[in-house]
Amino acid sequence: MGLFSDIYNTVARFFRPQEEQGEGPSKAVAANRLKLVLMQDRTNLTPKILEQMRGELIDLLSKYLEMDKELLELNFEQEGEQVALMLSIPVIRAKDEDEIEEAIKASQTESEEIENSEEEEEEEEENNEEIEDSENSEENKETETSETDETKDEQTEEAPKPKKKRSKKVSNPEEMENHNTEEPPQEVVFETTEG
Amino acid sequence: MTGRVIVITSGKGGVGKTTTSANIGTALAKEGYKVVLIDTDLGLRNLDLLLGLENRIVYTIVDVIEERCKLKQALVKDKKNPNLSLLAAAQTRDKSAVNAEQLKDICDKLKEKNDFVLIDCPAGIEQGFQNAVAGASEAIVVTTPEMSAIRDADRIIGLLEAKEEIKSYKLLLNRVRPNLIKSNDMMSVDDVVEILSCPLIGIIPEDTGIITSTNKGEPIVNDENSMAGKAYRNVAQRILGEEVPFLDLDEPKGFMAKIKNVFAKLKAKV
Repeated sequence: MGLFSDIYNTVARFFRPQEEQGEGPSKAVAANRLKLVLMQDRTNLTPKILEQMRGELIDLLSKYLEMDKELLELNFEQEGEQVALMLSIPVIRAKDEDEIEEAIKASQTESEEIENSEEEEEEEEENNEEIEDSENSEENKETETSETDETKDEQTEEAPKPKKKRSKKVSNPEEMENHNTEEPPQEVVFETTEG
Repeated sequence: MTGRVIVITSGKGGVGKTTTSANIGTALAKEGYKVVLIDTDLGLRNLDLLLGLENRIVYTIVDVIEERCKLKQALVKDKKNPNLSLLAAAQTRDKSAVNAEQLKDICDKLKEKNDFVLIDCPAGIEQGFQNAVAGASEAIVVTTPEMSAIRDADRIIGLLEAKEEIKSYKLLLNRVRPNLIKSNDMMSVDDVVEILSCPLIGIIPEDTGIITSTNKGEPIVNDENSMAGKAYRNVAQRILGEEVPFLDLDEPKGFMAKIKNVFAKLKAKV
């Protein structure tokens, strides 16, 4: 059996197109790692600050939504000049008015520091997984956007000011290839999905 | 006459700044333009070697700055092309021997009598880079499709953006290996352009001819049959404002490659 399958594999490999060989393309890995590291370089957002931002975003959103924090994903996407922060959290349900009011009151009275430090510890583990998952984020993003359309009422969309804009000087647009000349302001998009 | 001053920079070392400077300079000179190449890599000069001019250098840029000679005396004419000359770096001094102001002054003087002043920038983002960029109004950022080179290029682009004097900058992607891109083991041209979001001025394929041309001290643009040489000539054309399509690197060159290609097409039809 072993011998036959060896022979089969060798022959099959010979006929298979080159790109299917090996342990998967390393190019995608490189591109994803680069995008992440460049984002940190360009914005000075260290992993620690990102983690803090994550914690605060969860605190904020949990006032209005009941969601699955375990599955929270935070990613940067770049399309041409534009950089978007994608925050995707499966939404269990939207809270009703009373609950929201209550949560806001609670957050005002509670000593926030204790809660933050507790949550940050929990989320550190999640974040590590996420970086590994970032490869799949492209696929996820597509499905997420379609889902969000259906649940528009429940989702929270905000577009606050960018952390830091890397303004591009673009010269001779006609000489450029594959280059996006339009320069919309960098935006931060929060996407939430129904779980 | 007011020539264009273009700095060739990269951040990371070893990606081909000096090779690019030598080849673009030679290509522009072959087109009949007056070109001066300035090597600003003090202490680690190499541009003279790539041009085969190492034995002719009497005065260097430091001699000019310290007024031991006139600027004109320090310019070494190329063996073949009188349109091309080199202002060599000092080999025995370090970056602190020059400052940005002095280099800018030299560039300003040179651009009065030349069509192009090309500055070969040292690696890094310290004083040497700052000096090299000081007199330039355009930049070519050389990178390769490798992560470290791209990250450094990104840093350089960020620094160039912050400089008022730099009116435009373009990306030159060097040492591209179509085979690796095909097997998805190298980032493609599109990937790199997307990541850096910088306009492209050239794609240079990896070419073993570069090694032999360096050995001989003769830029590869002089070799009519070389792919890299052709790619560099195209870059020169684009600098001159011509619209030249980027080379199709997928073209099979060898006889066997052609046969394989025929079979691949047959297979695709079936």
